Amino acid sequence: MDLEAFRARLDAWLHQHEEELRVADGDAHRNLEGDLRQLAKVKRATFDAGWMRWGWPERVGGLGGSTLLRAYLGEALTRRDLVEPGIYSMTEVLAPTMVDHAPPDLAAAMVPRLLSGDETWCQGFSEPAAGSNLAALACRAVRDDGVWRVTGQKVWTSLAQYAQRCVLLARTGPAESAHAGVTALFVDMDSPGITVRPIETMHGVPEFCEVFLDEVRVPFERTLGEVDHGWSVAMDLLPYERSTALWHRGAFLHRRLGDLLAEAPAGSLDATAVGQAYLQLFALRARSRRTQHRLADGARLGPETSVDKIMLATTEQSVFELVPDALPGSLMAGQDPASTRWRSDYLYSRAATIYGGSLEIQRNIVARRLLELGPER
Amino acid sequence: MDAAERELYTQSVRAAVAAAQSSDLDATLSALGWHDALGADRRSAVAAVFEACGELGGRGPLDDVLGAELRPQQATDGVAVLLPELGQADPPAARHGDQLVVRGLVRAEVARTGTVLVTARHPGGVELHAVATTDLDVGPALALEPSLGWAEVAGMASAGSPLVADAAGDWERAVALGRLALAHELVGAGRRLLELARVHALDRVQFGRPIAGFQAVRHRLADGLVATEAAAAAVDAAWDLATPEAAGSAKAVAGATARQVGRHAQQVLAGMGFTAEHPLPAVVKRTLVLDQELGSAATLTREIGAELVAGRALPQPLPL
Repeated sequence: MDLEAFRARLDAWLHQHEEELRVADGDAHRNLEGDLRQLAKVKRATFDAGWMRWGWPERVGGLGGSTLLRAYLGEALTRRDLVEPGIYSMTEVLAPTMVDHAPPDLAAAMVPRLLSGDETWCQGFSEPAAGSNLAALACRAVRDDGVWRVTGQKVWTSLAQYAQRCVLLARTGPAESAHAGVTALFVDMDSPGITVRPIETMHGVPEFCEVFLDEVRVPFERTLGEVDHGWSVAMDLLPYERSTALWHRGAFLHRRLGDLLAEAPAGSLDATAVGQAYLQLFALRARSRRTQHRLADGARLGPETSVDKIMLATTEQSVFELVPDALPGSLMAGQDPASTRWRSDYLYSRAATIYGGSLEIQRNIVARRLLELGPER
Repeated sequence: MDAAERELYTQSVRAAVAAAQSSDLDATLSALGWHDALGADRRSAVAAVFEACGELGGRGPLDDVLGAELRPQQATDGVAVLLPELGQADPPAARHGDQLVVRGLVRAEVARTGTVLVTARHPGGVELHAVATTDLDVGPALALEPSLGWAEVAGMASAGSPLVADAAGDWERAVALGRLALAHELVGAGRRLLELARVHALDRVQFGRPIAGFQAVRHRLADGLVATEAAAAAVDAAWDLATPEAAGSAKAVAGATARQVGRHAQQVLAGMGFTAEHPLPAVVKRTLVLDQELGSAATLTREIGAELVAGRALPQPLPL
């Protein structure tokens, strides 16, 4: 199916099923468990109707077709406010990793569970002492007969308290092996030895966790990619985080800026500031669309996606920076669902230049890899 | 043009613009078939010529671009088009009875002796007139950057019968097309500014190492690259959307970007970039003029924002 046909048919289907796909009463937005119930419901419905399977290879339960179809599905669901884009887009980060690096049987068995909403997965990369410097990670996996024994700590692991599986990076080489001694593993979260502790956050949504691993046994067949080559698995994953997931987030920002224009009292918005935020969004969407088409044409995405990430982060902050001046009462005192949402979205936007590689790390990548400025020293 | 032809065309335009002196740039472009290409494949021609002019120096033929929408069939080939004065996008003249009050910008070489096509507002709409420049006061080339070859024109002329009686739609399309052309030129200028600063940062040694090794320098240049790529994508999107609003958005993004990159490049080049012998100052000055032509980033951004606030909604976004 091509994009035009997909767009027309999906839009018609969503229009027809909008009522049953709507957020249920009581599942207020930015209530994490409600958002997850809603996500599972929408994924299940769109999977059963086939939409969620387009753009994924047939060998993992997909229906084939361009990756643009996935991008459009996420946009269409986000635009209609049917899913929270952050948790929806984790599929876009984790499923391609399985498609590209998991043993074929494992990918075929597991990816449909993620696409259909039956399971939630998480991504165990960051550690207390390995944030921007991911190569410093210390969580250790030792090979023992047919299993890995994994011991260490992860942090900022989104949705770990709900997840059935985790794509985890562990140190398998010597401590000083840096990038060269890392292996990616696919870990069952109900394995003995895993403890998860959610982190209370500034925006009131405990979506990040600490994960403690104590002699956790992971079958060797759960290795993703080659032993000691986990760094390339991670490097292949990051451009996805900065492409399709980002297209969805752009659609979310478009909706929220539209909401703000509709809700702000007359005289409360500064025309220049609104114009700047809108123009950033215009350019972000233009850039992100280009990246989507390159991905669909088979291009291997790389450091140039750091440009997209910087644009997204700065645009997100420009959009939500309008809120304190336009809706101060709602943001600071409001108890209704809309106010809760403005408060949560505004506060979460403070993290836009931090998560997924900070603004400074992205600039370092641009300087080193795109401008070819040589090493920093 | 298909992708391969476009690439070839772009390369030949770049080579020609790089080799041309500012005085013979127009002849060079004519020899390359610029006027024909403007009719046949407008997007490819405008993109190639204006990005090359922005990056390699030289005045982008903005009046030709407006002429492509304004000119009545063939009749006025070779007649220069009067641009609005700096900062403005309204027609450069107003007709009061049989008098035209003119205030605009024209290529300096035709200013004293030629005829110009003048778009004029009047209470009933917009018209196109031909006016002899001898009837007008023509100033010297712009003082900030005379090499650009634009001169201010002002004065009163008697209005004959218009060449085109209802030119309102033509003018709106001409401004939109001109803004796209300027946005390309600003993107090209941004790339040039960035490259000048990048080369300097790698060459200039202080404290025993190239200043490109310092994060403060690297991050300025990285921000410059991000902004320039954002502007390039915005211009592409505006061609696809093909609306006057999108062209204005692209021009606003490109203008703000070129000025920001100019500030970063100037700071990285430091003393070297402050000397008249370095190429930087001419590019910085050019970006200031380009930003003002057909409406500055500051004005457009405020207008776009005011319209959104008044309408309380966003326009349909660019489709995937």
